[in-house]
Amino acid sequence: MRRTRLSWRIIALLGALALVAAACGGDDSGDDTTTTTAAPAATTTTAAPSDTTTTTEAMMDDRTIIIGTTDTVSSLDSADAYATADWELIKAFNEPLLRFQPGSNSVLEPGIASLPVASDDGLSWEVTLRDGLVFGDGLELTVEMAVAQLNRLMDTDLQASAPNQVGNTLAIPYVESIEAVGDDTIRFNLLGPAGFFPQILAGAPYTIAHPDYFALDEMNLLPTAPIYGLGPWTITEITAAEQTVLEPNPFYTGSYPARVDRIIVQRFANPSAMADAVREGEIDVAWRILGAEAADDLKSVDGLTVETIPQAPIRYLIVNHADGFVTADPLVRQALAAAIDRDELSDVVFGGAVTPLLSPVPPGFLGANEAFEDAYQAPNLDLAVQLLTDAGYSESNKLQLDLGYPPEHYGVTTADGVLLVAQQWEATGLIEVNAIAQEWSTYVSNCTNGDTYPVCVLGWFFDFPDAENYLQPFIEGDGLGTMVLCPNDSCGEGVTATGIDPLLGQLLLDQRAETDLDKRAELIGQLQDVYADEVVTIPLWLEPEFIIYRDGIVGDSSLPNPQTLNIGPDFEFIYSVLDITG
Amino acid sequence: MHPLLTVFLIFGIPAGLALGWVFLRGSESLRRYILTRIAHTVPMVLIQISIVFFVLRVMPGDVVSSTLGPKASDAARENIMEALGLDDPLIVQYFKFLGDVVTFDLGDSFIGARRPITDELGERLPATLELIIPAAIVALGTGLLFGTYAAIRRKRTADYSLRLYSVIVYSMPIFWLGLLLRLVFSVWLDWTPIAGRIDVVTNTTLERTTNLLLVDSIITGNWAAMRSVLHHMILPAMTLGLVLSGVFIRLTRINVIETLQEDYVISARARGIRERVVTYSYALKNAMIPVVTVIGLQVAILLAGAVLTETVFNWPGMGRYLIERISSRDFQAVQSTVAVFALFVAMISLAVDVIYSVLDPRVKY
Amino acid sequence: MATELETPPDPGQVADWELELQKVGIARRMFMARKWYGTDWWFVAISSVMVVAFLVLAAFPQVFAEYDPLEQVGPRLLAPGERPEQEILVVPIEGPISAIADFEVGVRTPVAVAIDTPSSEAARDEAERITDEIAASGGEGRIRLRIQRFETVPEALEAVVAGEAVAAVISSKAYDAVADDFPMLTNSGAVSSAEQDATSFPLGTNQVGQDVLSRLIWGARIAIFIGFSASIASFVIGVPLGLLAGFVGGKTDRAMTLVMDSIYAFPGLILAIAITAVLGPSIFNIIVAIAVLYIPTYYRIVRGQTLQAKEELYVEAARSLGAKSKVILGRYIFPNVIPSVAVIFSVNVADAILTGAGLSFLGLGLPLDIPDWGIDLARGQEFIRSAWWLITFPGLAVMLIVLAFTMMGEGLVEIFNPKLRER
Repeated sequence: MRRTRLSWRIIALLGALALVAAACGGDDSGDDTTTTTAAPAATTTTAAPSDTTTTTEAMMDDRTIIIGTTDTVSSLDSADAYATADWELIKAFNEPLLRFQPGSNSVLEPGIASLPVASDDGLSWEVTLRDGLVFGDGLELTVEMAVAQLNRLMDTDLQASAPNQVGNTLAIPYVESIEAVGDDTIRFNLLGPAGFFPQILAGAPYTIAHPDYFALDEMNLLPTAPIYGLGPWTITEITAAEQTVLEPNPFYTGSYPARVDRIIVQRFANPSAMADAVREGEIDVAWRILGAEAADDLKSVDGLTVETIPQAPIRYLIVNHADGFVTADPLVRQALAAAIDRDELSDVVFGGAVTPLLSPVPPGFLGANEAFEDAYQAPNLDLAVQLLTDAGYSESNKLQLDLGYPPEHYGVTTADGVLLVAQQWEATGLIEVNAIAQEWSTYVSNCTNGDTYPVCVLGWFFDFPDAENYLQPFIEGDGLGTMVLCPNDSCGEGVTATGIDPLLGQLLLDQRAETDLDKRAELIGQLQDVYADEVVTIPLWLEPEFIIYRDGIVGDSSLPNPQTLNIGPDFEFIYSVLDITG
Repeated sequence: MHPLLTVFLIFGIPAGLALGWVFLRGSESLRRYILTRIAHTVPMVLIQISIVFFVLRVMPGDVVSSTLGPKASDAARENIMEALGLDDPLIVQYFKFLGDVVTFDLGDSFIGARRPITDELGERLPATLELIIPAAIVALGTGLLFGTYAAIRRKRTADYSLRLYSVIVYSMPIFWLGLLLRLVFSVWLDWTPIAGRIDVVTNTTLERTTNLLLVDSIITGNWAAMRSVLHHMILPAMTLGLVLSGVFIRLTRINVIETLQEDYVISARARGIRERVVTYSYALKNAMIPVVTVIGLQVAILLAGAVLTETVFNWPGMGRYLIERISSRDFQAVQSTVAVFALFVAMISLAVDVIYSVLDPRVKY
Repeated sequence: MATELETPPDPGQVADWELELQKVGIARRMFMARKWYGTDWWFVAISSVMVVAFLVLAAFPQVFAEYDPLEQVGPRLLAPGERPEQEILVVPIEGPISAIADFEVGVRTPVAVAIDTPSSEAARDEAERITDEIAASGGEGRIRLRIQRFETVPEALEAVVAGEAVAAVISSKAYDAVADDFPMLTNSGAVSSAEQDATSFPLGTNQVGQDVLSRLIWGARIAIFIGFSASIASFVIGVPLGLLAGFVGGKTDRAMTLVMDSIYAFPGLILAIAITAVLGPSIFNIIVAIAVLYIPTYYRIVRGQTLQAKEELYVEAARSLGAKSKVILGRYIFPNVIPSVAVIFSVNVADAILTGAGLSFLGLGLPLDIPDWGIDLARGQEFIRSAWWLITFPGLAVMLIVLAFTMMGEGLVEIFNPKLRER
C-alpha cells in the first residue's frame, strides 16, 4: 500500500522538478547577441583546447560572431576539398597564392604570393612568395615545402584515394608540372595557354597545407583541432557536424587580418531551423542555404538585414544528343527550348525569386549574352509546334519524352520546377512527358552517363569565376570533370561529345587562348550562339543566395559590396572582414 | 566515447547487478529461464541486423557516385570500391560485417569526411537517449496516472474523456504536433528555443565526456549549461511524450481493468475489504507489473517516434543521422546505426523480461 | 465507505428490453445496443460515420473537389478566404503608354514587378491575351515582356522613374500606400482589360498556387488507398502464416516466430524507411514497406488464438471424426480469429496512414506529382510563419482520419473483449 502511494508521489515530484527546471531555464530565451554574451574565458590561439571548467558566470566582453549554415564540413584537406563550405573554411585558416578582393570576383590580389607573371608563350606562370610566411604554430614556410605540398594536387594516386579529387579538375587538366625556382618563386608549367589560370590560383586548392598535418602521401580530410595555416584564423575547435570555432592567427601577415576575437560556425540540419535561429538572435549571420521563402519572411523582422547575392548556382537541363534518343533530332531539341516559359517557372515555383537564365554563361561574366532568347523568344509555342510538326509529330503521334529529376537533392522547388516544365511542354499538345523521380545517388550517374534519359535536370556552380567554366564542362568530352554525355563511353581524349557541332570545340579552344579581352568576349558570344542553336543544354534559371545578418554586424565599407558583408558574385565569404559595431 | 560503451554504462550496470543478484539468489529454474531468454534474443538481433544488411546491399543506388559525385574517373571508382571493401562477393562482406559487429568495430563512414562511425554515434546516441528518456518519463507518468484513473472511474465521464484524449493524441502525426507546438511555444510565445540541444555559445563552455549533455553539465558543475540543456529539451520531449502517452494510457487502462476483474480482487471485495484498499493494494499493485512490462517493450515505438521528433526539432540524434545516411547510401553508417538500435532494443526488452519474470509470481519458469 | 455487494442478476428476471431485443432485426438491435454499450456505442457510431464520409470522399474526389489538385489555380500562398488583389499598371504621367495593349509588338518591353506577388503573372497573362487578340484579328507579332523583378514595390517604381522599365505592375493597395512618393507616376488602371477573376479559396492556396482543399480531398483517396492496401496485404500474408504456425507447431513454428518477432521488435518506421529507400519513391513501394511492418502483428495474434483454439474440445472432436486439417482450420479455428483480426484491421489502417504520412514527410514516400498529405506537410514546414494554413489542414486531415479508424477499433475492442465486460 505504502509502496504504491509512494510511487505516485515520486512521479508527482519528478513532474514538479521538471517544471521548476523549465522555469529556471527561462533565463536563456532570446539572449546571446554578440555584445551581451555570457561567454567564458576565451581560449588562446596557441594553447591546447580550452579549459572549460572555469566559471561560466564570468562575463567577458568576448567579441564573437556566430555564423549559421546548413552545410557540413566534409574535407579540410586543400588537395581534396571541392565543396563551397570546405573552401570557405580553408580560405579562413589558410590563404591561397592569390586571392580575389573580398566583394568582387574580378579584382585579383596577391595572396601569399605576388600576382603571377606569364611567360611569353603563355605556357608557364610564375608567382613569388612573400617574405616571412609563418604557419599558425610557428612553422616557417619554404618554397620547397610549398611546391611539395602543391604537388599533392598533381599526385594521381593521392587524388584517387580521396572522395572529392579536386586536383583532377583544377590542376591536372591544365598544369603539367610545378617547380621551385630560386628560393621564393614557384613556376607552373601548363599543358596549353590558359588566360584564366591566375583565377584558378585564387582557389582553395592552391593553399599550402601544413606539412605536419597534411602528409605528402596521405589525405587528411578532417584533422583534429587545432588546425594551423597561413591565413588570418586558426581553427581551435571542430565538431564536424555541429560547430567550428576559429580564433585569430597571430602569425598572419597578409592584408585581411581578423577584426573580432572569435568566430563560431554553427551547423543546422535544416534551413528553417537556421532561419528561426537568426530571427531569435541565437546566431548573428545566416549564410547558405536559405531558400527564397525563408529569406523573404525574415525581411520583415526588426534588426535583421537580408541581402541577395546575385551570382548563383544555375539549374539547367542536360539534353542527350546520342543516337537512339528522341532528342538526337535537333528539331526536337529546339522545340523543347522554345516551349519553356522561364518567367512562369520563376513566378509560380519561386514567387519570382529566381532569375531566368537565357544563356549557359550567366550575366556578369565576360562575353555573356542572351543566346537562347535571341534564338527562340521562348515561350514560343507556335515555333515549338512548328518544329515538332516538321520533325514528324502530330496529335496522334505525340513525342514521348522521359524527364528525369531528383526529388530532394536540389530542394523541392527544383522538383516543382521540373514538373512545371513538363506541363509547359505538354501545352504544345504534341508532347507527352513522363517525369521520373529518382533518388540522387542513382540519378546523378544515370543523368550524366548518357545512357538513360533524354532530358534530366542538374545544377552547376563554377569552380572558378570565368565563362570557361560554364562552357568547357559541357562541350569537351575528356571524361574528367565534365558533365557532357558520352553514351557507352564514346568520348575519347580531347574529343567533343558525340553529336555536338565541332565548331563548338574549336571556338572553345580559340577563346581559351585569346588574351585580348574584347576579342575573347566576341568569341564567347559566338560560342553561346552556336550553343543555343545546337541546344547543348537548356539553361533554366539562376538561384539566388541570401545572406542575413543582425544589426551590429558589418563588413568592410572600403571594399566592394559591404551590404552583403563583402560577399561578391564569387560567393566567397571572407570572415576577416566581419566586425561588430555598437 | 564509444556509443556502445555509453549504452552499457547506463543500462548495463544496473542490469548486470540485477542479473547477478538473480543468478546468485534465484532458483535453478530461474537461471535456466533467463539463459533461455538471452539465447532467444541473440538470434533475433542477428536476424534484424542481417535483414538490414541485405536490404541495403540490394538497394539500387551507387554509393560510389554518391561519394564521388558524377565527375569520378574509373580509376577513382575502383579505388573507392576497394577501400570500402565493396568488390568482395556479398557473402564475404556479410561475414566480415558480422565479425565487425561482434568486435564492436563499427567501421568508418563512406561519405564526406569518412569519420569513424564510433565517433559519430558516440555523439548521436546520447542525444537520442537524452530525448527518449525524458519523453518516456512524460509518457509513462501521464500514462500510468491517467490510465489507472480511467480504469478506476470506468464508464464515467472521466474514463470517456481520457479515452477520447488518448485516442486524439495518438492520432496526431508526431511531426505535426511538434511543428504546432514549436509554432506556439517557440515562435509566438518565445518560451522555448527553436532548435538544437544547447545554446550555441554555452556549448563552447561545456566539456563533454559522456555526451549526455545533462550529465556532463552536472558533472562539471556547469549550471548555465544545464539550464540551457533542460530548456532545449522540454519541447521535443513533450512532443514525443504526449503522443506516446496516448498509447500508454490505453494500455494501462486495459490492463488495470482486466486486473480489476480478476477473481482475487472480486473475492477480496466480497470478503468485505474496503474498496480503497482493494483497489490500491490488491489490484493496482499487481496490475502495475504487466503494465510496466508492456510499456517497457514499447521502446521500439519510442525510437520510431524519436526519428520524426529529431527531424522536426533539429535534434542531432541517431534517428536523423540514419535518415541522412540512407539518402547517401552510406552502408557502413546505416548498418552500424541499425545494429546499435537493435542491440539497444534487445537489451531493454531482455532486462524488462527478466524483471517481469522475477516480480510476477504468475510466470512459470 | 460501505461496500456494495453486487447482487448477481436473478436468472428468472430478464429485462424486458432484452426480450424485445430478440424480436427485432439487426438494424434495430444495433440501435438499441446503445443502452447496453453506452458511450462506447457512440464512439463506434460516430467513428463509423466519419469513416464512411472519408471513404465516400476517397471514392469520388472529382465530385467534391472543385479544382485539379495539380493545377495552379490561383496566386501562391493565398490565405483561406482571401481574395487576390487587383493588379494595376503604373506608368509615367503623360507618357505614351496607358495599357499593355500599347506596348510595341515584337520587342521585349521591360516591366517592373515586385517579387512574391502575382503581378508578374497578371502582366504576362494580359500580354498573352493581347497577343491572341492580335492574332485573331489577323495581325502578326507578339507582345513580349522582359520582367524585371525587384524585392520591394518602391524599388520597382523607382525603376520606372529611372527609365529602366516602361511600366510597373503592382497591386492597387500597395500602390496606394506609396503613391505620394512617386508623383511622376500614375495609376493607369487595371492591368487586365478582361474580367477580373477574384475568386477566393476556402482553405487557401499553397506555395505553387494549388487549391489546398482540393489537395486535401484528393489526398484522402491516396491515404485511404495506401492504408487499406497495406493492411489488406499484411492481413493476407500474416493471417494464413499465423494459422499455419499455430496449427502445425514444431520447428516451422519456432523458425517463423523468430523471424516475425525480429521484425516486430524492430522500430517500425526505421524498417519502413530502409525499405522505401531501397525500392524508391512510388505508391506501390510505400504499400509494400508498410505492409511488411504489420505482418507480424497479425501473425502473432492469429497464432496465439490458433494455439488456444487448437486445444478446444470441439476441435478434438472434429479431428476424431476424421475432419481434414484444412476443414478444421477453415471452419472451426478461423471464425474464432475473425473478431480480433477485425479490430486489428481498423487500427492497422489508422497506423498505416500515419506511417505513410511520416514517410512522405521524411521525403521517402511518394513522387511529387501525387497529391498527398505527408508531402504537403513537409513542404508547408517552410511557410510555418507566413502561411499557417499549409500545415494546419493536412495535419488535421490526417488526425481526423486516423482518429476515425482508431476510435472504431477502440470501440470494437470494448464491445468484443469479454474480459472488459461488466460482470
